[in-house]
Parts: sequence; C-alpha cells; structure tokens
Amino acid sequence: MSRLLLAATAFLLALASHAAPVRTERVEAELLAERVAAAPGKPATVGLRLRMDEHWHTYWRNPGDSGLPTKIRWTLPEGWTAGPIQWPYPEGQRIGPLMNYGYSGEVLLLVDLTPPADAKPGPVALKADADWLVCKDVCIPEKASLALDFAVAPGEPGAVAGNAGAFSRSRAQLPVPTTGWTSEALVSGNRLTLRVLPPAGGVAPAKVSYFPYRENFVDHPAPQALVRDGHGFRLEAKLVEPVAAGVTEASGVFVAESSWPGLPGRKAVELAMPVAASLPALAAPVGVPAGEAGGSLALALAFALAGGLLLNLMPCVFPVLGIKVMGFVRHAHGDSRALWMQGAVFSLGVLVSFLVLAGLLLALRAGGAELGWGFQLQSPAFVTLLAALFFLMALNLFGVFEWGGFAQSMTSNVSAKGRYADAFLAGVLATVVATPCTAPFMGAAVGFTLAQPAAVSLAVFAVLGAGMALPVLALSFFPGALKRLPRPGPWMETFKQVMAFPLFATVIWLAWVLGAQAGNDAVMALLAGLLVLGMGAWVYGRWARSESLLRFVFAALFAALGLWLAWPGADARPGEARAAAVRAGEIDWQPWSPERLAELRAAGTPVFVDFTAAWCVTCQVNKRVALNRDEVARALAARGVVALKADWTNHDPRITAALAELGRNALPVYALYAPGQAQPVLLPEVLTASLVVDELSKLPAAKPAAASTLTQR
Amino acid sequence: MKRASPLALCVASLFASTAFAAAVVGQPAPAFTATDLAGKPVSLADFNGKTVVLEWHNFGCPFVQKHYRSGNMQALQKKYGTEVVWLTVNSTNAGHQDYQSPAQLGKALAEAGAAPTRFVMDEPGQVGLAYGAKVTPHMYVIDPSGKVAYNGAIDDKRSTDVADVKTAKNFVVAALEEMKAGKPVSNASNAPYGCTIKYR
Repeated sequence: MSRLLLAATAFLLALASHAAPVRTERVEAELLAERVAAAPGKPATVGLRLRMDEHWHTYWRNPGDSGLPTKIRWTLPEGWTAGPIQWPYPEGQRIGPLMNYGYSGEVLLLVDLTPPADAKPGPVALKADADWLVCKDVCIPEKASLALDFAVAPGEPGAVAGNAGAFSRSRAQLPVPTTGWTSEALVSGNRLTLRVLPPAGGVAPAKVSYFPYRENFVDHPAPQALVRDGHGFRLEAKLVEPVAAGVTEASGVFVAESSWPGLPGRKAVELAMPVAASLPALAAPVGVPAGEAGGSLALALAFALAGGLLLNLMPCVFPVLGIKVMGFVRHAHGDSRALWMQGAVFSLGVLVSFLVLAGLLLALRAGGAELGWGFQLQSPAFVTLLAALFFLMALNLFGVFEWGGFAQSMTSNVSAKGRYADAFLAGVLATVVATPCTAPFMGAAVGFTLAQPAAVSLAVFAVLGAGMALPVLALSFFPGALKRLPRPGPWMETFKQVMAFPLFATVIWLAWVLGAQAGNDAVMALLAGLLVLGMGAWVYGRWARSESLLRFVFAALFAALGLWLAWPGADARPGEARAAAVRAGEIDWQPWSPERLAELRAAGTPVFVDFTAAWCVTCQVNKRVALNRDEVARALAARGVVALKADWTNHDPRITAALAELGRNALPVYALYAPGQAQPVLLPEVLTASLVVDELSKLPAAKPAAASTLTQR
Repeated sequence: MKRASPLALCVASLFASTAFAAAVVGQPAPAFTATDLAGKPVSLADFNGKTVVLEWHNFGCPFVQKHYRSGNMQALQKKYGTEVVWLTVNSTNAGHQDYQSPAQLGKALAEAGAAPTRFVMDEPGQVGLAYGAKVTPHMYVIDPSGKVAYNGAIDDKRSTDVADVKTAKNFVVAALEEMKAGKPVSNASNAPYGCTIKYR
C-alpha cells in the first residue's frame, strides 16, 4: 500500500511544475518553478521568464523616462501568499535624449510563493496574469495568462531539472542588500551626492552606476560623476527640476563593472541612502586600483604642468607668443628688473585667466550645463568677438592705427605702467587662444579634475597655466638667450608687420569655425562686419593727429556697425559646409551617436571614434597629418573598422557625457573600440599616421564579409 | 553654487541652444512658434493671459490610444474648451513609422472626435526638447501669467488599459480645478508615463 502511494506521488510530482510558454507578438512568457513542490508554510521561489525578441526590451521597477514596470497578478489556492517581484539589476537603455531602465534578451523575475502551514500535500494549480510593456522604438502593451502545475509536498522538495541554471543566473543579478557599508545622500540644489564607504579594511569598486528606485527624481540620462573619497566614492547625479521637496531617502541599486568587492560573482548591491543635512569633507583617495579612471592628484598636477609647457608648442598660442617675445627684445638689452617684472606680470595674466575660465566652467557645470574645456568656442558669438579682436590686432601690427589713450600699443615705447598692462593683456590673450588646443598629457589632467572638488580643479588649472607661462617666465629671468637677438631697430617694424600675418591666418581659421557652427551666411556677415570694423580702425589711424571729436565718433560708429553686422543671429544653423567637411578625406566618416556606437559594438564591429571640433586646432592638425592618410584609410578598411566622428563644434551634451565616461573633458580624444573589449583604447592627443596604423594592426583581421555572402549564395 | 550669477546665466544662455531643457513648475514656460495642421503659425505668445494645456500626442502610442479610445481626452478637450487653450503637440519625427502627415492627422483627429484648440506640428521636435517632454501623453498646464503650473502624467493609472481611465485620478483636471478655485496646484510635478517621444 505504501509503495503504491509512493509511486502515485512520484507520478503526480513528475506531472507537476509543468507550464506551457505563451507566445505574444514580441515576447515568449512562461512561469518556471525552481523546485518540484512547496513545503507547507515555507516559501518556494517561482519565476516569470520573459524572452524578448531581438532589440525589444521590458522594464525595471523604475522604468526611467518612459515605459512601465512588468506586473504580475496571482490567482493562488486558498491561504497562499505571494511576495513582491525580486528585480535583477537593470541595464540603461538610451533612446535619443531619454534613458530607460530595463532588460533585453531574457529576464527571469523571481517571486516567493508561500502555501499555508496546513496546506495538504498534493497538486495545486497556480495562475498568474502578467502585464508588461515591450518596446523597441515603439511600444506594445502585452499580457498573458499563465499557469503552472505545482504541488505541495512535505520535506525538502527536489529541484526541477533544467531550471536550476535560469534561477541561479537570475539570483546572481539580484542586488545584494548590503550592510556594514556607510551610505548617505545629500541633496544640494539640483545635485544629488551619494557617499558610499566600505566597511573597515574594504575597498569600493572603481566604476559604479546608480539606478534609483524613486521615479522622476534623478535625471536619468544625465551622466553620473564618480569621485574617490578615502576608501570609498562619491557619486554625483543631476536631479529632475523642480527638485522634489522632503525626500528622506535615495535608495537604489549600485552596479559595479565587475564583481562588487567582497561579493564574488555579484555585481550589484542595494544600499539604503538616508538623506543627510550635510556630508563630511571629502577625504584623500586611498587604495584606488592602479590604472583606473581618475588617477591621483599628484599625477594630475604633473600632467597639467607638462601639458601647460607643451601648450606653447601648439599652433594656437604661436601668434600671441611671437608678439610677446618681440616685446622682450625691446628690453633684453636694458634693465633686467623691468624684464623679469614683465615676465612675472605676463605669467600672472595667464594664471588669472586660467582660473577665471576654469571658475566659470565649474560654476556653469554646477548650474547643470554640460560643458567642457574650450566651451567658449562653442558659442558663435564668442568666435565672432575673437575674430574681430584678432583682426583689429593685426591691423594694429600693420600700423593702420595705434591704440593710444585707453590702452597702449603692444610694441610702442611707453610708460612702465602701460607695459605691465600690456604684458597682462598678452597673458590673457595667450590663454584665450590656447583653450582650443589640447596638448599631450593635458586631456587626462583636465578630465580628472572636473570630477574633483572645486579647490582641486582650480589647483590643476592653475598648474596648467603655470606650465604654459613657465618658458616666458624663464626667458625673462635668464635673458642671456635674448641677448643674441639683434638690438632694437628698424627691423622691429618689419617683424611687427610680419607678425600680423599669423593673426590674419587665425582670423581665417575662426571664420571657418564660425562657418561650421552657423553656416555660410554667418561667415559672410562676419567678413562684412570685419570690413566695416577695418574702416573704423582706418578712420581712427588716418586722422590720429586730429583733435576733432569726429574722429572718435566715426571710429566708434564704424566699430559698432561692424560688430552689429558680424553678430551671429539666433537662428543661425549649421550649414552644408559642415556636412561637406565630414565628407572630405578618404575615410568614410559616419556621424557618431551613442545608439550607433552601441549598435556597432553589439554587432562586434571594431569602431574608431574621433571626438573633434572645428575650433580644436590640435584635432585639425591630426586630421591633416595623421588621419586623412591613405595608409590609415587602408588599415581601417582592412580591419573592418567603422569610423565615427563626434563633432563637438557646437554644444552637445551627449558628447560631453560620452567624454566624461572616458574620463575626459577636452579635445581631441581618439577612442578605438576592439570587439569584445569593455573599454576602448585611447590614442594620444598628438597622432602620427604610423601610430594609428600600429594600433589598428593590433585588432583581429576583419572577417571577409563580402566573400561569405557570396559563398552562401 | 546655489544660485547662478547673472554673468554665468548670461554666458550659459549662449550654450543653451541644443540642450534637452525642461519646463520647470513655477518658472516661465518656454516660448515657441510652430505650425498647425493647416500650416499656419501657432505661438505660445498668441495665448498670453490664458491658461494653456499642452498635451503630447502620438496616435501610434498605446498610452495615447487608451485616452482616445475611452473618449477621455476628447471629453477633457471639450469640457475645458471654453475656459482654457488646449494645444495638442506631436513631436514624432518624419522618418518614424508612427509619423502622420498633417492631412492624416486631421482625418484621424476628426474621426476620433478630438477638439483641441489648435494642433501643433512639432516635426523637428524643438518644442518637445524645449519643454523636456519625455513621453506621450506628457501633460503641461501653463497659467495665465505664462508660468508652468503643472508638469507630469495625465493620471495616476500608469497603464494602457482602457478600463483604468474610469477609476484613475486625473492630475490635469485636479490642477485646472484648483487653479479655477484660485488655489495653488497641490500636485504640480510628477513622473509622466507613456511611450518615449520619437525625437529625430
């Protein structure tokens, strides 16, 4: 009798925990049981498995900017209870300017079901109505009524063969509720700062993403910045405005790139995040894994100094430095004290302008603007002003007019006070024109600094300025080298006029930048404006000896009219010039977008991304001498590399965000994504063709795609 | 930095051209000019001194379909038709499968019995980006002084189920009624729900 009962139970259990998958338009849904039965009074885990079609996704508990979380309504036997869905950590899914949190491919949503303690052994039918929204770029609400033949059996029920893998995979993706870590949040303006410290002796992961539970709180698509704080980190995120009042906690899921320290095989943790009134001061980074994004302050300062020094050799600063050095010549044979005072004031000018520019950049970023180094050149208005200024300087060097009165000529022999004002101005100008150039080492330093507290950022920028001023300062202290130059004489006038040509060249370049930003009409307006501005300068110079007020009135009138003509209109649009610039060269450049990059990488295609801008001179030089070369184009084609161009000529927060992910904030940046590698290789800021070809040759050879298509036919 | 200095704001405005901005409750609503179904210009400035409702729309979206199949959206448009200006805005890009031409939209709206004051074709998506509109239907209410009074979901039932409309608490109705009674809008900002707007 008992043997018969046993056989019958075994037969029933074999039938049990069986469910048929339901196929909807885009998803295959099925209920899975982990074990063949549930013990009375004890929870048993079941799961809703959703298998999405390729490119389709369903949503996490906080779906992000759109979408809906998946819902399950259970119909259970009397006395059974169902727990909440246990959500595996999601992935960020960027759609245009928006961000969703969800799952693609397959997801198993786990739920604990508990039969009553007095449940009678035997088969039970479990039913669930599941609702989900499945989206690609369009969304389809889908639902399915699912059933699972389950059972109640005493003791320890056995595992369902074939389901163990799915359950263990899903469990490995559940965020681990973590204790022992210090975690707190601060809401300040539209910024959320999350401070996370490991328990004593622990380390925090190097790279972390934060997925908030609360909806409509964190600005989902905005980039998250990570700063080291002692053994831990601080993560900064932008909040949706108006910032919700009275938020007391900002809990969510933190996902590390690889295993979370202390939790082998688990990437995600859940941390409680009480909102505090204030956070303790930032501690110096300790135990940052070597080679991780960030780096130490000392290294950043060293890079900044080297970068600043090398800036002097970059094409942007050259014209201004030429003028400055000429100013030195005048004094090289005279008073050495006056000379080094000049050098010091010039350096001060550079330092002050670096700090002002950096301060402005930090202030604007704190205000939520997504800007980077050289940001001022993303403004057509600023480019126009700079072009007008250089044009006037060049006319001045040609001798069309002398400044007189309010500011002294750069080269005229004037009072000491005027010379100092001059030196300071030269320092300011050198800085302003230096920003579109990024020197080697500088990219890493600037990228590091923007994730740091303001004091650290400003220190790095100050050192960058110091590095740039150093050669001129050194020359002024050790004028021996200058002594070899000829004494001041008529040759100076010739030299002065010659120096006007590089300035005109700079104006041409700025006009080209403006063309890329605002189109052909803006260039025309600029040139017309410069013509009228030139008339003003000519009037001012031609009647320099006249006492008449008319001279000033007409000069000012022409200057105002010139600026009015040149001023770029608000409706200025990038013209065809920009598209043509993309088409130029042998390489088949395609426009960059995060989606395009993700798509190519998902397909296993190697990708080369050129982060560039028309105003970035180093970028333009690299393009001419290293990128647009036959051998590079051939190497790209040979490895099947798709070349994407991310054009930062105009303000583009998506590019700013992409640069931040690479730990950069200045141009140029060249990123080479090899198939299967999580992180791209970043090429140096100054390229040579052979260097690019060498890097490309490290990639695996391209599959002969065309040939295989032929053989398939 | 809690408050941006005037200079910083001035400089920031130079770069604000392409950013994904937002219409923040309590702040002036971004001005816009676009065209209606007949190709005539529609400006927010045309409705100075009036309460304006903005409804982001896309007939291809199941969440929008919920509110039109149930007759909910048309009823709201008619109920408030004399009191407020109701602008239905479509930011779907022309290359997307959901895009409908002004002629197609006009026909579909007539069939649905929709009655917005004007329909705004925002094909390049500029109005949507200026408002930070995320989903269809994302709803905004602008008060007669031109400030954003409501930004968020149409109601509290985040579903595509037509049956939910009856039992849902409609946030737009609540905001409009509170404004009519001269009271501050109690729930002025919340998470909108719906389909991602198909920006270019």
